Amino acid sequence: MRKAARFGLFLVIFLLLTGLLFAAGAKEEKPLNFALSGNPDTLDPQKTSGTLTFQTVKSIYDTLAEPDENGVIVPALAESWDVSPDSLTWTFHLRKGVTFHNGDTFTSADVKASFERILAEETASPHKSGMSIVSSIDTPNDMTVVFNLSGSHAPFLAFLASGWGAILPKSLIGSGHDFDSLPVGTGPFKLEEWVRDSKVVLVKNDDYWMKGLPKLNQIILNIIPETSIQVQGLIAGQIDIVFIIDSDDIAMLESSSDVKLEENLTSLIMVMPMNTSAAPLDDIRVRQAINYAIDKQQILDIAYGGGEPIGTFMDRGNAYYKDFTDLYPYNPEKAKALLKEAGIGDDVELKLYLPQNYALHVKAGEMYQEMLTQVGLNVKIQLIDWSTWISDVYRASKFDLTVIGHTGKLDPDGTLSGYGAGKYVQWFNDDAAELINKAAGTIGYEERKVLYDQALEFMAKEVPFVYLGSSYRTTGLRTDVNGFRITPNLDTFDFRWTEFK
Amino acid sequence: MEFVFFIIRRFLRLLLTIFIISTIIFFVIRVIPGDPALVVAGLDASEDDIQAIRVRLGTDVPVAVQYGRWLSDIVRFDFGESMISGASVNKLILERFPLTLTLAVLGILLGLIVAIPLGVLSAVHRWSFWDYFGMVYSQMGMAIPSFWLGMILLLVFAVKIPIFPLFGSDSLKNLILPAIALGFARAAVILRLTRAAMVEELNREYIITARAKGLTDRMIRYKHALKNAMIAVVTVTGIQFGYMLGGAIIVEQVFSLPGLGRLFLYAIYQRDFPLIQGGVVFIAVVFSLVNFTVDILYSVLNPKIRIS
Repeated sequence: MRKAARFGLFLVIFLLLTGLLFAAGAKEEKPLNFALSGNPDTLDPQKTSGTLTFQTVKSIYDTLAEPDENGVIVPALAESWDVSPDSLTWTFHLRKGVTFHNGDTFTSADVKASFERILAEETASPHKSGMSIVSSIDTPNDMTVVFNLSGSHAPFLAFLASGWGAILPKSLIGSGHDFDSLPVGTGPFKLEEWVRDSKVVLVKNDDYWMKGLPKLNQIILNIIPETSIQVQGLIAGQIDIVFIIDSDDIAMLESSSDVKLEENLTSLIMVMPMNTSAAPLDDIRVRQAINYAIDKQQILDIAYGGGEPIGTFMDRGNAYYKDFTDLYPYNPEKAKALLKEAGIGDDVELKLYLPQNYALHVKAGEMYQEMLTQVGLNVKIQLIDWSTWISDVYRASKFDLTVIGHTGKLDPDGTLSGYGAGKYVQWFNDDAAELINKAAGTIGYEERKVLYDQALEFMAKEVPFVYLGSSYRTTGLRTDVNGFRITPNLDTFDFRWTEFK
Repeated sequence: MEFVFFIIRRFLRLLLTIFIISTIIFFVIRVIPGDPALVVAGLDASEDDIQAIRVRLGTDVPVAVQYGRWLSDIVRFDFGESMISGASVNKLILERFPLTLTLAVLGILLGLIVAIPLGVLSAVHRWSFWDYFGMVYSQMGMAIPSFWLGMILLLVFAVKIPIFPLFGSDSLKNLILPAIALGFARAAVILRLTRAAMVEELNREYIITARAKGLTDRMIRYKHALKNAMIAVVTVTGIQFGYMLGGAIIVEQVFSLPGLGRLFLYAIYQRDFPLIQGGVVFIAVVFSLVNFTVDILYSVLNPKIRIS
């Protein structure tokens, strides 16, 4: 009897407690559920080059400057900046009253410590060489930072505005804090929990320096590798935003009244790179023939879900884009003639390496192969994984042909630096290389545009690539979600204005 | 006393196995193309940056030196840090293990619950409805890929009739559908084996002796035949269980579960050497423990099989 009574009492307390918990939960505003397609390697933006990391920490960290909705670099943690006439001294005036998630007040010492962390040997940052132009960092007072450059360098501002320009608190940098898994920044959201391969939970930073922002109380980045599950979650309402919708799923989502689709031009440069160092691709006629043989719009539409063609190595929406699409239109007959002239038949085998983790590139690669076969070329496909691609193809140039999409950059130098002087396509053109170097040291859009136009013309004419285009990206959102922004060129997620309506 | 020797011998054999396996994997992953420093560096880093990353990761020194360092670390149970995430390999593996273990146990339990009764029924009542049913089931179970079954289960029980969550890993509820997807094929294998073993036992001469003694059919079937048939079943179940712990990669992918399979899959993709090595050693240990348990079970099922 006593046992039963005790059990009864326990049951009552248990029910009361769960009731209370539910009541407390119900009062809170619902979190935003976002579908993230993979696990970020680390949450330390200075130690990685992984897009997923930058997409995740965009909400946790701020940078001195940042690209706005139109890709123009505007003040963020710095309220303003001056550049000396010789453009060697960059003075940043910092925002007052900003605090880190751990309560530290943001000062110039944090800026200096953050950038010195990138330079430190033990950090081994992949972005260190991007900072090699900085000879010293001074902090004349708490709210001023001065970067002294060893040469004029236009991409410098873009460097500061990229994800790795994140400002970390000095007190934690010194104490060996685990920034890999416990990021502490000044950003609109704080990290609450990261369950690797499952979810990243972010909560509102009530002290964020932008008045009235962010609007959401909580964001859950659900790590869901299968795109079909992401889409089903979106339809069922368990997911509020899916960043990239496969073209196969668009029709199904269009019929759902709870989901809206937004189409954007990406800043991707979709290409089929050619290794110009070895026969037969060292012959410009063969590369031209390959360009004529490809129906670019068709590959864009079928493999990449639509897009706009480019005729050179610059994304279509970029301010520095110049149109060369008329140079090598689709013309298989001309391709055959050029190949005949060059004496290339199907006895020459070309190896096309495809990164198997990227289904779209594999699909595109099969189409390239088909079109090249049509003009009498012998193309063999080999699937390789990403690590092999980056090691053998990209860093060691062990390939004939490959398919890839280069991500957008805040500054054109990020896109073009190194071309003309080799890079993985082994394309050498001293004039182009010099133009690209000169443009990096030149300040001013007009002045740089003239130089890049010429460099892009060399690239367009000598075709170390087949320039396919910039693809469209379809993002799926529940109809009650508003104000979700994608940072131009960086493709990071900006949740500051996001809210439910 | 005999048992203590047995344990010690098994333990030494385990150490030797781990040593050989880890040495093989250590060199194999360094021979195949792909450099973790280049994965970390991405497309824009300079040669100097890459060299600095190699120093941080410890891949700048000759392979023999790396091997020596690794051996001296693992004797202290230190498997190092992931090259990609910087997190401790021990922590990453132990974080994932409970989920995968739970999933594997549930999967095997579901498999056994379906397979053993059905297998016994099929063997006892050969060419009956249950036998045909079992045959059809085992054919299907082996033919249906688990990712397809997983997708269908999700579409039916998480989308059309939303009684289970579509993704997430917070509660046991998240593991039911994946356990079914996993257990379905295991059940098919165990079912066939149970039936075959049962049929074989029922045809043995001791069954005739038992019958001559006047034992009931029930006693013969379930006390004598089944118990002996179980030896083969236990072996196969143990192996299947080991495989499941090695990572139910596909099922984890479909159900967005943060298990060991996905951890190791991405480790291989990214050439995360310490994590791959730690993972292989971990799985080898688990396999050995399962085998050990199977051996103990043998002697329980059949006292004639002495531990030796």
